[in-house]
Amino acid sequence: MNEKRILVVDDEPQIRNMYSQMFSTSGYEVTTADSAETALEIFKKELYWIIFLDLNLPGMNGIELCRQIRKQYPMAICYAVTGYVSLFELSDCREAGFEDYFTKPVNFSDLLDAAEHAFKKLERWKKKQ
Amino acid sequence: MKILIAEDDFTSRTMLAAVLAKLGYEVISTCNGEEAFDKFQKDDAPQLAVLDWEMQGLDGISLCRKLREQERKEPLYLILLTARGESEDIVKGLEAGADDYIAKPYDNAELQARINVGRRIIMLQNEMREREKFQGVLEMAGAVCHELNQPLQVVSGYSEMLLMGLKTGDPNYEKLETIKTGIDRIGELTHKIMKIARYQSKPYLKSKIIDIEQASRNEKKEIINE
Repeated sequence: MNEKRILVVDDEPQIRNMYSQMFSTSGYEVTTADSAETALEIFKKELYWIIFLDLNLPGMNGIELCRQIRKQYPMAICYAVTGYVSLFELSDCREAGFEDYFTKPVNFSDLLDAAEHAFKKLERWKKKQ
Repeated sequence: MKILIAEDDFTSRTMLAAVLAKLGYEVISTCNGEEAFDKFQKDDAPQLAVLDWEMQGLDGISLCRKLREQERKEPLYLILLTARGESEDIVKGLEAGADDYIAKPYDNAELQARINVGRRIIMLQNEMREREKFQGVLEMAGAVCHELNQPLQVVSGYSEMLLMGLKTGDPNYEKLETIKTGIDRIGELTHKIMKIARYQSKPYLKSKIIDIEQASRNEKKEIINE
């Protein structure tokens, strides 16, 4: 939990590259996945406590992915970053366990704040153990 | 609501117009089939009509047929008025495209009741059309937002990154900032499009386009803020 590691799930390669560059310049180690299924495979090998994911993914969607991640790792903090979300999906987001959601295009500074906020929370929780 | 009458007999036409005006309708009086047909070609054409079957030239039944052959933007409810009362006449009238049939001499109350049916149906059809239009707008909004926001995110993100690496005095800073501002404006627009809650259009050249500002306004919130 000391390492600042982030998992990003988005099916657009340009967006994955952009996240990688953005977060690494701020000192984070970024792993990317192009689908929910890939993300779950990654999770079998390493844990990630902070995940940014698009809701509209090929195959399993982001809401279901969040549900599955939170089921196995309730401490994981998930952020939805999505191109379009209907009101219906919004309430589903909270129910699935998303910490927050952002609609594209989102300022990187907002995502960075979210990541910083999440890491501070995790540090605080770790101290209480 | 507008109602058109097509009746070539002066007395009958005057009486019918008076009865309908008293019921609160805006009556458009025509004395033959051709005149009636022309009225239906206008943009604000009536949707409700009482047509006399027996008219010189284009009679009521031919007028029904001609109107039903056209592809119309708005639904039409046509009532045939006639002295003919045989079953086969009724069938002929309805098959030609009339929605209802009143036999002369008619009872005013019956006329009123049948016109009310027509009015109800037209209002229902209009409501359905509005709902379909709105559904179409929502589906398009969803597609637009979904597709546009992805490349927007990429451009926005890289502009932001480039700006972070430049000093305010740098000659390229202002240009990049303008690019970022432009992208932010597009982002605000797509976010507004996502919030569209009603069908609202505005004139644009010779046609119409969605009024994104008005269509996405949350009126309830506005009242609270005041």
